[in-house]
Amino acid sequence: MRGRKVAVWFAATALFVGIAVVLTGCGGSTATTGTDTGSTAAKPLKIALLLPETKTARYETQDKPLFEAKVKELAPDAEILYSNANQDATEQQSQADAALTNGANVLVLDPVDSASAASIVAKAAAQKVPVISYDRLILNAEVDYYVSFDNEKVGTLQGQALLDKLTADGNAGKTIVMINGSPTDNNATLFKKGAHSILDGKVKIGAEYDTPDWSPDKAQTEMDQAITKLGKNGFVGVLAANDGTGGGAIAAMKGAGIDPTTRPTTGQDAELAAIQRILLGEQYMTVYKAIKLEAEAAAELAVSLAKGEAVPSSMQLSAVNNGTKDVDSVLLAPVAVMKDNIKDTVVADGFWTAAQIMTSPELETAGAAVGLQ
Amino acid sequence: MSAEQESRTSSQGAVGMLREVGRKLAQGEAGPLLVLLMVGAIWTFFQLQNDRFLSAGNLTNLMLQQAAVATISIGVVLILLLGEIDLSVGAVSGLCASVMAVLVVQQGMPPVLAVLVALGLGAVIGLFNGVMITRFQIPSFVVTLAGSLAWVGFQLLVLGQTGTINLSDKFIIGLTYTYFPPAMGWAVAALAIALTLGLALVARKRRGAAGLSVSSIQGLAFRTAVVGAAFIALIIVVNQDRGLPMVVFIVFVLALAFAYLTERTRFGRHMFAVGGNAEAARRAGIKIDHVRILVFMLGSTLASAGGILAASRLMAVNQSSGSSDLLLMAIAGPVIAGTSLFGGRGTVWSALLGAVVIGSIANGMNLLAFASSVKFIVTGAVLITAVTIEAMTRMRRQGEQRV
Repeated sequence: MRGRKVAVWFAATALFVGIAVVLTGCGGSTATTGTDTGSTAAKPLKIALLLPETKTARYETQDKPLFEAKVKELAPDAEILYSNANQDATEQQSQADAALTNGANVLVLDPVDSASAASIVAKAAAQKVPVISYDRLILNAEVDYYVSFDNEKVGTLQGQALLDKLTADGNAGKTIVMINGSPTDNNATLFKKGAHSILDGKVKIGAEYDTPDWSPDKAQTEMDQAITKLGKNGFVGVLAANDGTGGGAIAAMKGAGIDPTTRPTTGQDAELAAIQRILLGEQYMTVYKAIKLEAEAAAELAVSLAKGEAVPSSMQLSAVNNGTKDVDSVLLAPVAVMKDNIKDTVVADGFWTAAQIMTSPELETAGAAVGLQ
Repeated sequence: MSAEQESRTSSQGAVGMLREVGRKLAQGEAGPLLVLLMVGAIWTFFQLQNDRFLSAGNLTNLMLQQAAVATISIGVVLILLLGEIDLSVGAVSGLCASVMAVLVVQQGMPPVLAVLVALGLGAVIGLFNGVMITRFQIPSFVVTLAGSLAWVGFQLLVLGQTGTINLSDKFIIGLTYTYFPPAMGWAVAALAIALTLGLALVARKRRGAAGLSVSSIQGLAFRTAVVGAAFIALIIVVNQDRGLPMVVFIVFVLALAFAYLTERTRFGRHMFAVGGNAEAARRAGIKIDHVRILVFMLGSTLASAGGILAASRLMAVNQSSGSSDLLLMAIAGPVIAGTSLFGGRGTVWSALLGAVVIGSIANGMNLLAFASSVKFIVTGAVLITAVTIEAMTRMRRQGEQRV
C-alpha cells in the first residue's frame, strides 16, 4: 500500500514537472556556421549571434540568414557562432558563456528576458567583449549599442492609421476594441503605450485585453467576448497589436456573422496571412518592420566592433535609456502597409513574392487590382 | 457494503434517486454532481456581473470556444482510464492541423482527404507512443513528453517560413461554423433522446437476462427525462441564436460514441480492468499491450481531431497552434470533472463537463475584461481547488476500501 502511494506521488510530481517543462519549452540549439578559410590573418573574427526563440518564423528564416549574408559581405573570413535559446533565459546564459569561451569578439544578443540578460552583459564586459542589444533592449546593463525598431512608433502608427480610417468613415469618437500583446513582453507594453497616446480621448475603448503568449486562439476568445459585451453593432474598429491577434479577432467577427471589411483591424509583422487578408479587405493594415535593414545594421555594427574600428559614419545614432545609461542606438522606422502600398513595400523588398501572396483566384483578382503580378 | 444494499433497495423512482444523490454527496462520490453545482455557481456569479453572460449568443460562443479542447480531452480520458498519461496531445493537435492546412492550401489536396490524412497521422503517432510504452516498457510520460518536443519541431518544419496559413476552404471552416436550421436541431435532439433511452433499455434487458440487478423503470424514466431536458434546453438555447453549430454536433457524437465504447463494450471493460489493476487484467487473459496501444492510438487521433476543429474555428494555423496552455487545460478538464489521474475511474462525459467549467471561467472573465493578472490567478486557483477536491475524494474512497 505504502509503495503504491509513493509511486503515485512520484508519478504526480513527474506529471507536473513534465507539464511545466512543456509549457516553458526546453532544450536549445547551438550551431556554428561560417567558413574556415585558413587565411593568413592571425585571428579570424568571431561574431556571436544569440537569438531568443523559434516559434516566430522571423528569427530562423529572416534575421539569421540576412545577418550572416551581410557579415560575409563585409568580412568574408569571419566566423559566426549562432545559437537559439528556444525561449529559455537560462539556456541563453549558457549559450552566451559558450560563445565567450569560444573567443567571440562581439556578442549580438536578442535577449529572451530583457532584465536577466544584464548578467550576460556583465560577463562579456569583464572579458572586454562588446555587446549589441538586438531587437529587444537589455535593461540595466552597460550595453554598447542597441539596434531595433522604434517600438513606441509601431503603436502610434497602428493608432494613427485606425483613427484616420475611422475619421474618414465618419466613425470618430465611437467605440473600438483593443487586443494588446503578451503582458510579459516589454515590447507589447511599448506598442500599447504608443497606441493609447493616439487613441485616448479620440475614441471610446469598449473593451481592452492583454493576450497571453500573443496567442491568436486567445485573441479570438477575447474578441468573442468583446462582441458579446458590446453587441454586434457596438464597435467600429479593432486595434490589434500584431497579425496573429488581429487574425484571431477577424475570425471572431466572421464567426459572429460580422463582415470584417466593415470594421478596420490593425496588425503588425506583415505576416503572409495578414498581407492576404489586407488584399481581401478583411484586415485594414499591418506594420512592416524591414528585418533586412535591422539585421544588416546589426551586422555592420558587429563587424566594425569586432575589428575594433569606429562605427560607420553612415549610421545615425540616437540615445535610448536602459536604466543604467543612454545607449547609442540605431532605431529604424517601421512602415504602415495597407492595400495600396503592398507592392511598394513588402513585395518590392522581396519580403514576400507576388506568387506567395496570390494563392487563390480571389487573391489573384484582388492582387491584380493593386498591381501585383 | 450495507450502504450499497440499502441504496439499491431504496432506489425507487425520483425519491430514491434524490436519496441516492444525498448519499453520494455525503460520501464524496458524486463528481459530476459537484461539478454541476460548480458550474451553477460560476454561471450565477458571472450573470450577476453581466447579464449577457447567459445569453444564447454567449452560450453558443462558449461551446464554440471549448469544442476543440473537449475533443482532445475525450482522448485524454481514455488514456487516464488506463492509468497512463499523454503529454503530447497539444503538440500532436498542432502538428496534425498544420499538416492538414499545408496539404489543402499549398498542395491543393481535397479537404476531406487532407482531414483524413491528418487523422491518420494522429493514429500513427499514437501507434508509435503505444509501441514505445509497451514493447520497451518506457513510462508514458517520458515517451510523450520527449515526443511532444519532436512534434513541435515537425510543426515548425511543415509550416516553413510563411508561418501562419489562412484557411478559407468551405468544408474545413464549415466543421465549426455550419449552423443547423431549427427543425434539424430538434431532429438531432429527438434522435439523441431516443438513442439514450434505447441503449439503456437494451442494457437493462441484457443485465436482466444475465441475472444481474436492474434499475427500476421509474428510475430509468427519471434519468431519461433529465437527459432529455438537457438536450431540449440545449436546442432551445442554440436556436435562439444561430442554430446548432456543426462542431457541437460533432463533439456530442464523439462523446456518445466513446461513452458507448467505454461503458458498453468488451473493449471498454478491458480498459477499466487494465487501469484498475494491470497485473490482474493480464492474469484474466486480457491482452493488455493491445489495449494500451489501441487506446494511445485513439488518444492521438482525437488530439488530431481537436487540432483540426481548433484550426477550423480560428480559420488559420500557425506556429503556436496547439501550444500555450492547451495541454494543461485538456488534462485538467476531465480531472476537475472527476476522472482520476491514476487510472480505472472516470467517464467520457467528464471531458465535456470539465471543458464547460474551465471555459465558463475564461469566457466570463473575458466578458468582464479582467486584467491578465487576475485571470491567471483565478484560473490557477480553480485548477488547484478542483484537483484538491478530487484528491480528497480519492483518499476517502481508499479509507473505505472502495477503490
